[in-house]
Amino acid sequence: MDQFIQLTVDGLTLGSVYALIALGYTLVYGVLKLLNFAHGDVFMVGTFAGFGVLQLLGGPANPTVPIWLVIILVTLAAMAVCAALGVAIERFAYRPLRDAPRIAPLISALGVSFFLANSMQLLFGATPRNYDLFQYHGGTLYLRGLHIGGVTVPLLRIITILAAFVLMVILWFLVNKTRTGKAMRATSFDREAAAMMGIDIDRVIVFTFILGSALAGAAGVMFALRVPTNVSIGFIAGLKGFIAAVIGGIGSIPGAMAGGLILGFLESYIQGYVHGAHIPDGTQWSDLYVFSVLIVLMLFRHQGLLGRPDIRKV
Amino acid sequence: MSDSTPHGFHSTGAEGPAIGQDEWVARHAEVRLLPARLAPLEQRLRAVPWWAWLTLFVGAFCLFPIVEPSGYVRQVAFLTVLYMLLALGLNVVVGWGGLLDLGYVAFYGIGAYAYALLDSPHYGIHLPTVVSIPVVVVIGALAGLVLGLPSWRLTGDYLAIVTLFFLQLFQTVTTNWQNVTGGPFGILNIDPFGLPGGHKLATAHGGVFAVSYLYVALAIFVVVFVALRLLNNSRTGRAWRSLREDPLAAEAMGMPVNWLKLLAFASGAAVAALTGTLNAALYGNVFPLSFYFVTLITIYTMVILGGSGNQAGVVLGALIVSPLLEVLRDADKSRVLFFVALGGGLAFLGRRNRRIAMVAGATLVFGFVVHAIARAIDGGWVAGQPGAGGFAQLVDHWVIAPEHPARWIAPVAYVGVIAAALLCTVLSGIVRDIATVPTIYLGAFVWENVMLSKPDPARYIVLGLILIVLMVLRPNGLLGERRVEIV
Amino acid sequence: MKKAFVLALAVLATSVVAASAQGSQTASARSLANVNCSKTITLPFVTPLTGGAGFLGAEQMSWAKYAVKTLAPGLGLKVKLVGGDTPVEQGPAPAQTLAQKYIGTPSVLAVLGPSTSGAVAASTKAYYAAKLAHISPSATRTTLTKKVGGTFDGTPAFFRDVPGDYIQGPSDANFMINSLHVKKVVVMDFQEPYSLGLAGAVDSTLKAKGVSTIRLSAPNTTTDYSAYVTKVPSDADIVFFPTQKPGDAQTFAQQLIEQGKKAKVFGGDGSNDASQFKQPGSYVSNFAPDITGIAADAKIIAGWKKDNAGKAVGSFGPPAYGAVQIALTAISTACKAGGGSTNRAAVFHTFKKVSVKNWILGGSFKWSTKSNDPLNAKFYIFQIQSNGSYKLVG
Repeated sequence: MDQFIQLTVDGLTLGSVYALIALGYTLVYGVLKLLNFAHGDVFMVGTFAGFGVLQLLGGPANPTVPIWLVIILVTLAAMAVCAALGVAIERFAYRPLRDAPRIAPLISALGVSFFLANSMQLLFGATPRNYDLFQYHGGTLYLRGLHIGGVTVPLLRIITILAAFVLMVILWFLVNKTRTGKAMRATSFDREAAAMMGIDIDRVIVFTFILGSALAGAAGVMFALRVPTNVSIGFIAGLKGFIAAVIGGIGSIPGAMAGGLILGFLESYIQGYVHGAHIPDGTQWSDLYVFSVLIVLMLFRHQGLLGRPDIRKV
Repeated sequence: MSDSTPHGFHSTGAEGPAIGQDEWVARHAEVRLLPARLAPLEQRLRAVPWWAWLTLFVGAFCLFPIVEPSGYVRQVAFLTVLYMLLALGLNVVVGWGGLLDLGYVAFYGIGAYAYALLDSPHYGIHLPTVVSIPVVVVIGALAGLVLGLPSWRLTGDYLAIVTLFFLQLFQTVTTNWQNVTGGPFGILNIDPFGLPGGHKLATAHGGVFAVSYLYVALAIFVVVFVALRLLNNSRTGRAWRSLREDPLAAEAMGMPVNWLKLLAFASGAAVAALTGTLNAALYGNVFPLSFYFVTLITIYTMVILGGSGNQAGVVLGALIVSPLLEVLRDADKSRVLFFVALGGGLAFLGRRNRRIAMVAGATLVFGFVVHAIARAIDGGWVAGQPGAGGFAQLVDHWVIAPEHPARWIAPVAYVGVIAAALLCTVLSGIVRDIATVPTIYLGAFVWENVMLSKPDPARYIVLGLILIVLMVLRPNGLLGERRVEIV
Repeated sequence: MKKAFVLALAVLATSVVAASAQGSQTASARSLANVNCSKTITLPFVTPLTGGAGFLGAEQMSWAKYAVKTLAPGLGLKVKLVGGDTPVEQGPAPAQTLAQKYIGTPSVLAVLGPSTSGAVAASTKAYYAAKLAHISPSATRTTLTKKVGGTFDGTPAFFRDVPGDYIQGPSDANFMINSLHVKKVVVMDFQEPYSLGLAGAVDSTLKAKGVSTIRLSAPNTTTDYSAYVTKVPSDADIVFFPTQKPGDAQTFAQQLIEQGKKAKVFGGDGSNDASQFKQPGSYVSNFAPDITGIAADAKIIAGWKKDNAGKAVGSFGPPAYGAVQIALTAISTACKAGGGSTNRAAVFHTFKKVSVKNWILGGSFKWSTKSNDPLNAKFYIFQIQSNGSYKLVG
């Protein structure tokens, strides 16, 4: 039972990060119908930005401000850097391709992803960066927490899950209760009609990228709070975020949130429980299992769990 | 039709897509936009039959090893031929079928591993080459069919995702299924090719790459090129074209759209698998990581650079990118390449365009001035060792190479030059020209001091940049045709 | 169309004929081509300078640079050190291209590296055929110098100045059994050659002595090990964690504590980095003792520190210094024997005769007579203290 609780908590933590990344993909796909391959690398830049700010604030052992403020500042800084990066990418790599065949911005995105990952490698080297919050007061963020059954849910995980939840609520609010959010939804529904209704498409798209990339930055910090980061994580993180968005239904915001959590739980349970003599072991082959689930899903319900089926007008 | 503007609806900007136009009109419209002087030359070039070009090209390639005996250069040439083959195969899927296949490299790997399993001590099977190559090609085609199956239900973006997952899956399987694939240790001691009759083609003489493999690769290249060209000029090729331009209309006209997609996947996969056998036979071993994302992006760059949809184009793309990557491995050669390209490019563009010539001249002067000022302020700012050789010494007089650069200089300069370059694209007129001068100089500074210190990521940065710039400025690449999407 | 077919067949036929032709004469003769020792000799170092293991290559390179700078003049040689980058993300294949490059460079008489075992397996045959000796400061896979169960991946041209997994594996396992009295051990690998080899060696030794072991395997790209930690039984004593990323060892140790497991992390030489792996109570094994404790090395360390301000003395670097020492000594000896000029084959044959009196890793260095490994090499086990420092315990 203890293992189940532990795995569930793990799944929730993982899933929150995946959900934040998936939201960024879904938002951009909704308005641009573009799969932003560079998103994972924006996430990676966020982890590094957060690391830099953490060092500026005195490092994990002796921060100059209270730890909760450190985490908030680091998150905000990463969000800001990523938002700026996202806007720059959109402005220079995607906007000129707004009217080109669909394949063009996709390939441009591949190029941006490659460019970002290797630029960070060039500038900051391959050494992993560890926020190392274990150093704070002898590891209290890891050791103190909520007690459920026989398991302690550490403060750090609670922070991650809560922060992701808060951000998702803010996002929901922005998308559903503000005018710009309404414009975003209109644009994702039908771009030309929205333009004809007087919505400034360029501004909406920039706003979308700001939102999506900021979420990636926040996801980066949430991720890096617990595990070391390095310049190569962008590809895998992006892939996982992709899978999450697709499971939930790309283009659907609740879908991205659900997809992220589902993926987190899937991975966690598969790694923890799947273990038998004649089947591939869960810890080694979790990728295989997840992909199998995904491909089956794609073949039978390709719009994902909560997505809209594609209706193409002739 | 003697006027120079194409008939039909006009788009909003001069560079915008000609909506409502089809490919043929667009192509001819573009031809007519060329300066009149060049038109007769181009007519004559176009009149030369394609097989003559092919013969010329292959002939030149065959003579190449005789001129250059270094084993390293020959191996790079061999690798280039492999990339040409891969580019041809990807061209079938992306250029002709219009399907974004991000798992293409998995077929390359499947071919290599299949050959490894059929011709190595791993299972003790040593099939003769004339048997194992066709078997591997068939396996590759089957794998392509399997991956193509999702394309029945999924379009564009979803297909891209699924194929990307397939690549990741291939990586996971080859890394973990140790009993079959050797896991991360790979499969070693793979047999080289054997001619019918038992004589084995040695892969190396005294450790140096054997030239015979280059000829084998070229022969296979010719066969594949011709076969694909014949395929494209047949009914299938025409069906692919209509599928690519408008899948819905093609389906409405009764084309078997799904089978066409499968055929595209299978053909591309078969070519990739064939290339895999060459790879496995020459290197004598296969490892999972040799067939991953980096190789995928490299092949895509070649196809896009050359012009997707055009066989000669993608071959040209491979011919440019593959040696480029090798040259960029070496700091001294990269420096020469950069400055020659910069200087040559500016000179070429500037011979007709006075503005560019002035910018080039201004940059030259600017550089010397800044260098002198920097040296005056602090000798250590320019005392760094750029590298060996006369060229490096020459360049050292122009570019600032600090001896002990502070750690923040590299990231700041790098981000700075990108920001400056992007800013220049937004400005216009005389302001843009003035801004370009320090940008170019800063670019040279960054190249010299930051990128040359780590050639490996620098190579891939160049690749990524090529992709982005190409898509934004000239998505049809060097020889491709401008595609228009019917809205 | 017919023309096309005829043409294609003609080209095919020509190339098959050409294919049977002999390879280049000059290439195989190069191993016997004499190089003038007073000219600059190129010493390539094939190591991961960028990518996930880039910190390893960078450290080795800095020590190799220092070695060339201080040792070459004394041996009467002019040496140019060049780096060949083999990022681990691209697997062993780049090493083969680099092997061709260096075989084709006439001024190369010996090669340093490759640093990773997979890259050695991929390129050593080419080096051997070219009679080019190559010495690695960190490729520890057993089958590169010894035959194990019918598998031998090495060649006589491959040398290494650090002991292989066949020593590290049993050393670590025996330490666990004899000093730590373990009953249950979790052995992990990361689906790449280094950890698989080491994990296998430790696992089999432990099993043979009756310790119960659990095998876990994680993809090399894993950063969050929580799910793996749940599979560590609460009564396990040690988790053997042969990672090449010290930061991951630290994460794992922290996550073990987080989930209340009592097992301690035991890392291999790949996790030896006090700045990243510093969890008190954990163990690390390495092929070198901390050389700052060896009196004879004080001058070398001081000189290195001057050239590399602000960097800490790691454990991957000194063997690279040693490798340069052996390589340059071999070249210099061959040069003297050849009266001022020598060739690759001669240098290759001289390698095995080299011995070093004041070996940087302590004591003296001699080759083992049975394989191209150091004689009487041993592994050292450290325990991480509460202040993060490494203390020698075995």
